[in-house]
Amino acid sequence: MPKMTREEFLLEMDEILDLKPGTLRGHEKLEDLKNWDSTALISLITMAETNNSAQISPDQVVGCSTVADLLRLAQVDGSSS
Amino acid sequence: MASETKTFQPDILKALRFPTTPAEILRKRQSLKKELLGQANLTPTRIAILGGSTTAEVKSMLELFLLAQGIQPTFFESGYNRYSEDVLFQNPDLWNFKPDIVFVHTTWHNVSQFPQLMEPEAEVEQRVRREMARFASVWEKIHTELGALIIQNNFDLPHLRPLGNLEASESFARVNFLMRLNAEFAKYARSHSRFLINDIHYLSAQVGLNNWHGRAYWYNFHMALSPTATVPLAQNLAAIVKSVYGKSKKCLVLDLDNTLWGGIVGDDGVQNLILGRDHPVGEAFLDFQRYVKDLQRRGIILAVCSKNDIENAKEGFSHPDSILKVEDFSVFKANWNPKPGNMREIARELNIGLDSLVFVDDNPAERALVADQLPEVAVPDVGSDVSRFAEALEHERYFEVDRVVQDDLKRAVYYNSNAQRSTYQAGFRDYGEFLASLEMTAEIGSFSAVYLERTTQLINKTNQFNLTTKRYTSAEVESISRDPGFVTLYGRLADRFGDNGLVSVLIGRVSGETLEVDVWLMSCRVLNREMELAMFDTLVEHCQARGIRRIVGVYIPTKKNNMVAGHYSGLGFTRLTESSGDHELWRFDVPQSYSLRTRFIRRTAQTLPTSANA
Repeated sequence: MPKMTREEFLLEMDEILDLKPGTLRGHEKLEDLKNWDSTALISLITMAETNNSAQISPDQVVGCSTVADLLRLAQVDGSSS
Repeated sequence: MASETKTFQPDILKALRFPTTPAEILRKRQSLKKELLGQANLTPTRIAILGGSTTAEVKSMLELFLLAQGIQPTFFESGYNRYSEDVLFQNPDLWNFKPDIVFVHTTWHNVSQFPQLMEPEAEVEQRVRREMARFASVWEKIHTELGALIIQNNFDLPHLRPLGNLEASESFARVNFLMRLNAEFAKYARSHSRFLINDIHYLSAQVGLNNWHGRAYWYNFHMALSPTATVPLAQNLAAIVKSVYGKSKKCLVLDLDNTLWGGIVGDDGVQNLILGRDHPVGEAFLDFQRYVKDLQRRGIILAVCSKNDIENAKEGFSHPDSILKVEDFSVFKANWNPKPGNMREIARELNIGLDSLVFVDDNPAERALVADQLPEVAVPDVGSDVSRFAEALEHERYFEVDRVVQDDLKRAVYYNSNAQRSTYQAGFRDYGEFLASLEMTAEIGSFSAVYLERTTQLINKTNQFNLTTKRYTSAEVESISRDPGFVTLYGRLADRFGDNGLVSVLIGRVSGETLEVDVWLMSCRVLNREMELAMFDTLVEHCQARGIRRIVGVYIPTKKNNMVAGHYSGLGFTRLTESSGDHELWRFDVPQSYSLRTRFIRRTAQTLPTSANA
């Protein structure tokens, strides 16, 4: 299965966080996102696991401060790890 | 009947319907929840989740699936792994919460001590007893002090088997031990009416143990299940809650050609239908018929809705391999009219709501038409492969029941008899002549232990002919039946076509010389038969015998009970000025001399209370 593109990842993140499609651009700080909580964190890990076969630990996610960090962690195409 | 309230768009629910993708549901949960909260007339419930592991994900998913069933939960969550302490040490937050339902979310991780290697059988047996006693002490306290219904997980199996296949057979092995505990939990469920099992042993097998357990989630979050496994868990739980609130479906409406057999009976002829063991697809149709027959045997009403000439349609069931027969169907609509109209007629003839129907048709255009025009009807996307039809019905848990009582087993007979009555009625000049010819007899009496389950079931499932729509648990019904502060009546009705079973329930709360109606309901299968008059006659006689001078009728309007809006005025009650729009009060002064209202029902003898203290 091909890995998610950056755009696809951001759209799925929009959905997880209940944002309008196209809201997230990548530079956002996680602490500024209203619905960024433990439930969203688990949905993100599941998404990365399902779509990108990326095994991410919660500790790694907690260490992220921006959406761009998450993109790198989830090994999204076009994001250097 | 067109609903005046905004019709909820089922498109929103597609992500929650068969075939579901758990990852999609997890991703969309926020927007799904927001949309689902926009529904009107949600039924509130209070659920305490007592977890043997972390439960935030379970709560989040359960909320979603309950909202999809029209139930709006408020939750209490125990602290991590405090499922027994919160009960045994009476956590005041839990006690103040006053749950309607307590869900005990334990898994194999919560077994306190597994047997030692080579432990003798007698000691293993002792260990089973101790483990059961530990759980039972929690359940007993919930029942006696919180009065809530309990939904308890049985045990899933660990994904690792240190003893290999011996895990299944050796009594000291973990798998064998868990199977024994599951058997004990089941035994407890059979003997306790307010205790239901959430069968995670089955669910985990269905999902597959490797997908069920998410090891990383256990080590990082102490989640016993992976997030994707939480989806089927929540769906299963929501189905149990739905059944408790009487929201399960009642009738399966089936297309015929390429749904119950392969081929077109009108074109191909009965002899050429694909049905039977000599053809792989024919065998799949046979198995689907067997599944449908099993549903019918346990009380699900069957109906046909098919574009066919009726003679051809009925002839299809004369196929020698057909398990289903014409007489298995309570309503048979085979014509060339649009199916939504036929579906309306089926609901009307059965006196049930459109929201009690499930429609199965292999034709996607027919499914889309019914789904579009009748959003209340459940229309699963069964596809066109008959081998998946039953799977789609199972997945949606449409027909979940919290118990099976004798009356369920006879339901199809009742409804078939109703169809006979309708035909019979057509031969009479007036309705009174028809009623008289039915030779009806009613057995009406105070609540009896024999009927406790059926009485409770009616109280919790009747929506239309229900003046107050109050719900009571079986423990509460039992308590009311013993309380002299209440007058209780059940009513059974029989006629020349058969026994309709227990069809009406009335509870009156007595205060001095006044009786206030607390519950008054009747099954719609005996509408317009004067059964409500027979119940009223008996109520008045009880009041006279107990010195009660006044009956206060209560009517609480809901979306579904409009049919009884004129009930009290029809009986000669006067509306009280203190009534409000959502809580009407009506008064009836019990006369010394009373003329019986029912003309066509003979009531069998019953014991009346002999004094005011009775």
